[in-house]
Amino acid sequence: MVTLDLHGYGWMLWRGLGLTILVGLGAMGLAVALGLLGAWGKLSRYRAARWLAGTYTTVIRGVPELILILLVYYGVPTLVQDLAASAGRDLRVDLNPFVAGIATIGLIYGAFATEVFRGAIQAVPRGQIEAARAFGMGRALLLRRVVLPQMWRFALPGLGNVWMVLIKATALISVIQLEELMRSADIAARATRLPFTFFFAASLFYLGITIASMLIQRRIESWSYRGAPRGQG
Amino acid sequence: MTPDVGPREAALRVTNLHKAFGSLDVLRGISLAAHEHDVIAVMGASGSGKSTLLRCINLLDIPDAGEVHVGGELIHMCFDRRGQRTAADPRQVDRIRTRLGMVFQRFNLWSHMTVLQNIIEAPIRVLGVPRRRAIEQADQLLRKVGLYDKRDDFPAYLSGGQEQRAAIARALAMEPEVLLLDEPTSALDPELVGEVLKVIDDLAAEGRTMLIVTHEIGFARAVSSRTIFLHQGMVNEQGPSRQVLDEPRSERFRRFLSGGNWGRAALTTPSQTGGNE
Repeated sequence: MVTLDLHGYGWMLWRGLGLTILVGLGAMGLAVALGLLGAWGKLSRYRAARWLAGTYTTVIRGVPELILILLVYYGVPTLVQDLAASAGRDLRVDLNPFVAGIATIGLIYGAFATEVFRGAIQAVPRGQIEAARAFGMGRALLLRRVVLPQMWRFALPGLGNVWMVLIKATALISVIQLEELMRSADIAARATRLPFTFFFAASLFYLGITIASMLIQRRIESWSYRGAPRGQG
Repeated sequence: MTPDVGPREAALRVTNLHKAFGSLDVLRGISLAAHEHDVIAVMGASGSGKSTLLRCINLLDIPDAGEVHVGGELIHMCFDRRGQRTAADPRQVDRIRTRLGMVFQRFNLWSHMTVLQNIIEAPIRVLGVPRRRAIEQADQLLRKVGLYDKRDDFPAYLSGGQEQRAAIARALAMEPEVLLLDEPTSALDPELVGEVLKVIDDLAAEGRTMLIVTHEIGFARAVSSRTIFLHQGMVNEQGPSRQVLDEPRSERFRRFLSGGNWGRAALTTPSQTGGNE
């Protein structure tokens, strides 16, 4: 391997990488949960649920991510403090940047996951759903045994895409002082005055994550294609 | 044949069923009764309401009016807040559906499950049959329909005829009182039709109560006890199969049986239309 002289800051990048992956996984978990919820809302019989899910995806997808991150990290605590002050209470709210990062990134990519899941659920063949109903399966059983297991097959390519964009978007949360990969590279670059070295190193790390993700995704997809002829290839 | 004599209820009784899709009246007052061991062939041209009739019996489509009794039990209907007719008790519908086996034109096997898993799924999850017993029973059914060697294959690896036989085994695993078959051979290549009809023939010989929507006239004559011919959403002619198929009284039915325009068209292009006609 080509050696890159990191002037003793290598450990910092590795630590940043670990944090980036943690934030990424946490945010992805949240995004998947919100996405399932959102898709359920969009396909719901109830107008209120449809409206709520529609507003969520429209607002989130329509506002730049950076603004949302700053809004959550700086805006929400201030808002809560001001509200408390107006009620005559002195309250100090500090958001943990790690939690704020996961929450914001998860919230944003939950909106994209919503669309992925909505499409995937609708792609499950209608006849198979009718067969389940014809055999007396109730709504919950039908969802759990027929719709969800097949939905993943249609959702995985889209979710993989969401993950790739999400993991890169975690670089944005360097603005809230969380020492993930991007911020670590930035600190090291400033300290050593070697921006190319460190940003180049960081980009290799990100590339490493994406390549590893693609390999993992391929395995998961071939598992999810069990029963479908092209999964055997 | 003797509805007035015995106190025994029909396995399936449909009374004055109506169904419209938008402005299209598909069913316009259909009544029929299937007694135990009856095999009823339902025939009719495309658009005559055959499939809709089956779908209204197990409420995959909600009839606009009329009653369905299964083994004497009425499926209760009501109107929701928007004035739409709907089942009064969804749990009753689920329960009744377990007593009505359904075989679809396009099989509708669950593609993420193997043949065996398809067959044991509903008995285990819906009826609460212990897994081991469900598997034993499924293996028996698989032997019966000649698919035991395919039990661990996924549906995508089966031929259409094999898929349909698996779908029949799946329906039988629920031990239904009545089997509803919706054009079970219409989506099959001609050389695969025979193997499926053979299985259905065996079921008739066992005394299964069945309602079969079919275009196979020879099969209907050989297997069904009664034939009902639908035309424009109404029963146009019905009676003992041999009698009405050999000597149809109505002009419509005669034309259909002689393979004239409509009947022939429906026989040769079965697959494009989905199954709502």
